[in-house]
Amino acid sequence: MKDTTIPGKILVLATESCAYPGADAVGQAHLSYPANTYVLRVPSPVLFPEKFYLDCFDKGISAIIIMSCGVECPYEGAYDALAQRIDRVYQLMRQRGLDVRRLRLTAICTVCTRAFVKEVNAMNELIKELGPPGTEIELQDVAQSA
Amino acid sequence: MREVQIDSAQQAQAEEKRVGVYICHCGGNISDHVDVEALCARAGQAPGVAVARTHMFMCSDPGQEMIIKDLQEGKVNRVVVASCAPSLHESTFRGTLQRAGFNPYLYEHANIREQVSWVHHGRPATEKATALVAAAAAKAARLEPLEPIRMDVIRHATVIGAGVAGLQAALDLASRGIPVALIEKSPFLGGHVAKLDNIAPSNEKASELLTRLTRQVLDQPAITVHTCTRVVGFAGCVGNFTLRIKVDGEQGQDEGKKLHSMPTKTPRRGVFLPQYGVVTGSCPENPAEDSIETGAVILATGFKPYQPMFGEYGYGRHPQVVTLPEAIQALAGENGSHPVWHWHGRPIRNLAIIHCVGSRQIPGVHEAAEGAALNEYCSRTCCSASLGFANQVRENYPVTRVFEFYRDIRTYGRGQEELYQRASKNRVLFFRFEAQEPPRIESNGTGSESPLQITVKDTLTFGEEVQVAADLVVLAVGMKPNGIDDLVEMMKLPVGSDGFLLEVHPKLRPVELPNSGLLLAGTCQAPMDIGEATNAASAAAVKASGLLARGFVELDPFVAEVNLEQCTGTGACVVACPRDGALQLAEVAVNGKPFKKAQVSPAFCLGCGACVAVCPTNAINIKGWTLKQYEAMVDAIVADLAA
Repeated sequence: MKDTTIPGKILVLATESCAYPGADAVGQAHLSYPANTYVLRVPSPVLFPEKFYLDCFDKGISAIIIMSCGVECPYEGAYDALAQRIDRVYQLMRQRGLDVRRLRLTAICTVCTRAFVKEVNAMNELIKELGPPGTEIELQDVAQSA
Repeated sequence: MREVQIDSAQQAQAEEKRVGVYICHCGGNISDHVDVEALCARAGQAPGVAVARTHMFMCSDPGQEMIIKDLQEGKVNRVVVASCAPSLHESTFRGTLQRAGFNPYLYEHANIREQVSWVHHGRPATEKATALVAAAAAKAARLEPLEPIRMDVIRHATVIGAGVAGLQAALDLASRGIPVALIEKSPFLGGHVAKLDNIAPSNEKASELLTRLTRQVLDQPAITVHTCTRVVGFAGCVGNFTLRIKVDGEQGQDEGKKLHSMPTKTPRRGVFLPQYGVVTGSCPENPAEDSIETGAVILATGFKPYQPMFGEYGYGRHPQVVTLPEAIQALAGENGSHPVWHWHGRPIRNLAIIHCVGSRQIPGVHEAAEGAALNEYCSRTCCSASLGFANQVRENYPVTRVFEFYRDIRTYGRGQEELYQRASKNRVLFFRFEAQEPPRIESNGTGSESPLQITVKDTLTFGEEVQVAADLVVLAVGMKPNGIDDLVEMMKLPVGSDGFLLEVHPKLRPVELPNSGLLLAGTCQAPMDIGEATNAASAAAVKASGLLARGFVELDPFVAEVNLEQCTGTGACVVACPRDGALQLAEVAVNGKPFKKAQVSPAFCLGCGACVAVCPTNAINIKGWTLKQYEAMVDAIVADLAA
């Protein structure tokens, strides 16, 4: 059984033009949030293939929050392509028995400090409830063998 | 057909990657919360890291010299600096590599201030910093040299707002031979300075200053003045912006209506009209739209005075309570025929001035207007403006007694402390109050000589309660950012928690916005006096002309690139690409044999990466942001070097 007392790691894919400066604004405001969050700066999250997300969960990342620019995306058409890709990732996650709530697509602006903290806190609550990735599968196995 | 040679053996012989990690204390900003020395020791253990060092300020000259020395001595060939947000110093450290004779893109930034030490504390902070540094080092080990994309710039600048800052910026740019479009929404030039009379501390007439400045602007052939004009559309990037402008007809403009209602219907171009500004001509009858192609944009959109709430120090409740701009206007309108200053037919024998109205507001003590935030900042100009006004009254109308009620007096600039001393010599009487116990303004009853009475707990006399009769109460109101939500939205401008536009760095890049090619001038950035506003305007003009004089800008080379060896020519990337003309399949001869391969047109590629996700062989990547680099970063985060 995996150790569920260690808080899981949350990967944040933050867009260079919106969410990443938003995460910096959280720092400038000296707001506090759990330290198990790792922000990666990305031009646009549309760059990542489905496999990237699944690999992250395989590697032990408990949750991924995509903080996009939403409708303010500077790359025309990229946000729609991203949303469609995330739908496909959800299907693949379901097939693997992964709780789809571990992957969340949000939009965070450069001054959305409260929204940033809220998303991070909410995801922390969720991974406390779910445990490490893959635990869902073990639970299903237990249920099936019982 | 393009000919390429692929030699796998040659690629395999790539140089050994030696990463140098440089960790900044940021003078305690980082090291107060992150154990920087422990972080340095762990970073030294990370794969590929050859050197790990710390410095009190990595951005300082000695900090950067440390990196240059390691590079030039061959100890490292990839650099990671762990410090503040990359928006502040990524370009600084890329420059460091360049000065050492290295490609500037062999650099990766680890953000351990805004995203670690300012939001986390203690052991978790150090652990997270370790993971972020390890991730950055993992990416750095996979960085390759890149060449920036060079783009021609349009040798033209646009200034939005024709107050003193905008006028000065336009003039400075034009004097360097750069054509300027000066856009002003009202029909007048001069902004808020037109509403002033004598300017503290020099006592110069605002009208004279504006007439002089605007004459130079109007006489300058390189400046095109667009009054009654608003910016309604914005596109492009540094060096190549397109602004859509709308010229409003008089009917559609409040300011235009003002011009229409004035006694002089068609005042001469260049004439100063008190309270309005310098006339450039009347607004056109019918609205029209146009566009401007420009290389840089200076925002000089200014401020608006704080409007007291109903009942704040009796404002709105007692007609004898006015704001300082209103009082300046009233005093300027006096013709000097009376030995006593009269206001609405009543002699002003007792004048009270209350400082810090709408500034330095304290949560829990002050109330904000509905939907507005508290103005916690000092507006900086009101102390000197109030003292200048008090002196003007005392020196021109010695019968009028002046009482100033203040929390602190801040006369910080040259010649301004003298204003305070002069006010003392002029026997202005000062009372000091605590924010929690502000002066109370009440009616004085019908039989009294003065209509109002002010009660204050005066801390200069150890908390004695003092009562002062007043014929006029002047509220020294502060500055608020002007309402430019439309521009903020359109141009994606960063706004600080105080509502003013936010520069990249308050000390190192004080007039630049993070959006390259956009600059700040004057009170749209913070409360400033006229000298400070024109100073900022000149700085912005220099920055803009520096950008435009070179004739080209170098843009980051973060566009798609195809690995021809891996590309199997599926064309999936071409389908996924959202930008016409950026990607196509082309016949390429590889080692003499023809193949269909993806081909990128770097000038059209936006660098979004939509192509990267769909390639079955990961043959296409965004330069500087490759999928392999991201995978390596995730591996480093998961590996937990801190554990």
